Amino acid sequence: MRRETTGYGLRVMGLVIALMLNLAAFAQSNLTYDLKVGTTGENRLLAEFPESYAGEKVNIRVTGYGLQVTGYGLQVSDSLDYIFADKPQPLAEQFDSIYQYTDEGDVKWTVWRNHKEIKNRAQRVLVTNAYKTFEGYIHEAVEEHRSHGWIWFVFAGLLLVGVGIYGCVIIWQRRKERNLTPVEQEMLRRKRMGMRRHYGSQLYLWLLLLVLYAPIALIAVFSFTKSKILGNWTGFSMDLYVNLFTGQADAGLNSAIWYTVVIALVAAICSTILGTLAAIGIYNMRARQRKMVSLLNSVPMINPDIITGISLFLLFVALGVSQGLATVCIAHVVFCTPYVVLSVLPRLSRMNPNTYEAALDLGATPAQALRMVMLPELWPGMLSGFILALTLSVDDFGVTFFTKGSGGLETLSTFIYSDARKGGLTPELRPLFTLILLVMLAVLIYINIRNNKEEEK
Amino acid sequence: MSKVLHIFSSRRTWAWPYILFMAMFVVMPLILVGVYAFTDIEGHFTLHNFAKFFSHTEAVQTFIYSIMIAVFNTAICLLIGYPAAYIMAQEDFKTPKVMAMLFILPMWINFLLRTVATVELFNMCGLPLGEGALLFGLCYDYLPFMIYPIYNTLQKMDNSLVEAAQDLGANRWICFWKVIVPLSMPGVYSGIVMVFMPTVSTFAIAELLTHNNIKLFGSLIQDYITTTDLLNYGAVLSLVLLIIIALTSFFGDHEGSGEEKGGLL
Repeated sequence: MRRETTGYGLRVMGLVIALMLNLAAFAQSNLTYDLKVGTTGENRLLAEFPESYAGEKVNIRVTGYGLQVTGYGLQVSDSLDYIFADKPQPLAEQFDSIYQYTDEGDVKWTVWRNHKEIKNRAQRVLVTNAYKTFEGYIHEAVEEHRSHGWIWFVFAGLLLVGVGIYGCVIIWQRRKERNLTPVEQEMLRRKRMGMRRHYGSQLYLWLLLLVLYAPIALIAVFSFTKSKILGNWTGFSMDLYVNLFTGQADAGLNSAIWYTVVIALVAAICSTILGTLAAIGIYNMRARQRKMVSLLNSVPMINPDIITGISLFLLFVALGVSQGLATVCIAHVVFCTPYVVLSVLPRLSRMNPNTYEAALDLGATPAQALRMVMLPELWPGMLSGFILALTLSVDDFGVTFFTKGSGGLETLSTFIYSDARKGGLTPELRPLFTLILLVMLAVLIYINIRNNKEEEK
Repeated sequence: MSKVLHIFSSRRTWAWPYILFMAMFVVMPLILVGVYAFTDIEGHFTLHNFAKFFSHTEAVQTFIYSIMIAVFNTAICLLIGYPAAYIMAQEDFKTPKVMAMLFILPMWINFLLRTVATVELFNMCGLPLGEGALLFGLCYDYLPFMIYPIYNTLQKMDNSLVEAAQDLGANRWICFWKVIVPLSMPGVYSGIVMVFMPTVSTFAIAELLTHNNIKLFGSLIQDYITTTDLLNYGAVLSLVLLIIIALTSFFGDHEGSGEEKGGLL
């Protein structure tokens, strides 16, 4: 009976793969829309483009740093200073009221939003200027794209493979069924009838998963191509992975990875030690005290990132501490420790409370008793707390953002944020993200298997 | 010396470092938010910042808009997430545990990357970025937080209650509304809290998903708090958000909501 269910799952998988490939092909086909030349987003504006470019998609983004033109493997950008260098004076003045440079050379976005009309007008001018500035590049990229029609065949091939897998699974299943006795076949038929009732539910879940994983799959798929722009397939290549591991990626990304790892390790180790000690303390408290401390413990978990981040930011400002690596680490310990406490506490209540006392009675010092009696018992809880702290720390954006200071410290999250605000995504982030996804999947599966084993015990 | 040892052998005291740490880095900062909100830039007591908030139309409008977006997002997540959790928790459905895991996995991937990926997906399909993209992205980011607690409560539910209702003559519809839904309410509450609170305070997602055309309350706070001379006004905005958060967590089972997140592993 089991085998049929697996076959059924495989069939659904085949169908999903076929659907996804279809979707990918569909997304690719949208490259030939009529009007594509303009800015992205709602302010899609037509600039002075030649007629022959109709139907090509070149994105011109007005980003915090200036202009960025992307599309067909093309990625060129320029600062606003340069673009306005040769503009007549009145126009430049007009733009000064829109752009306000901060210390880092960034543009204040607030001004954009407050003057919607100026903004629209400015964007129109900007797009036209950008086209003029990058005319040569855009022309080259579009021509090159037009000679790359073969991508269609790749997608058609992939679609065929998907359908083929689906077909093979069905044939393989039918084959197996032929060997069954009539009674078994009848039972199978009835079972299928029962299952059919669930087709709607199954479909709903799989569709939901499809939507949930579409963006993730997009990044994972495009990590295997060299192109600078996501969504532009320039042939299979492992170059991005090679770049990532040989340190040829963007310098900012490299340092962000290192800082993320260092901060996550420091925060996880500190919070595991602090949290475990705290859990032992809390467990031995009287009921009322325990309730108070538990309430305190739940505060950082309830607080959203932004509140934790801002309140710590205010603390560091009030104390006059300059913000940097140390403050980020402290902040991460703050929101990681409660989770460690919560993963160690159940272990404590499962263990015999008298063993520690017995060790003391037998002449062990508290440190020895802790090391030789408590630690072996608490180890699994500490480990899952540690892993939880690691993932929380790596994942965090809000708290890091407010406590990292202005010294140029970036973790992965903040790096992605500033990268995305500039209008692009460093290509090496794609393989990195794919690897993180795989590691997460492995960790989840491992923990699940371990939990299942414990349940069986 | 022996006295010191005695203190350490009483394990109750082992929590002290943690309590001190929390007092310093959790309680103090939260109090500071209040202090900054009620003082001006030189540190004198003032209510001016609050007056500024209520007369600042942009801030009030953004605040109301953010709450509306958060309510909408929570409702959408509930409408999509409840059936999913219900289907997965069905006894005769035999969902592989992997399925539930697949729904949780995206939660552990950096939400900024997921958001950027959503933006790219929208760009690739030629869809405009704006309010629709914002709602899609928020829902996409927070749906797992709704599904997980509901799935958890539904799974722990005593199935004999459903059977009893059926034996007493309830049809499937009545059985669902009168037995299953009321029993799953704790999960629904903590799901609502876990979706509503991050949505109302989000600041990076809206910025990326709308090319900064739509501003949510979180981004507003971020703008003011990082500007040195407007820090106190930023503190007022944070305090307003903090009050909303406090109200929401009293609405839900506040001790449960944190544990749900911690119980994922």
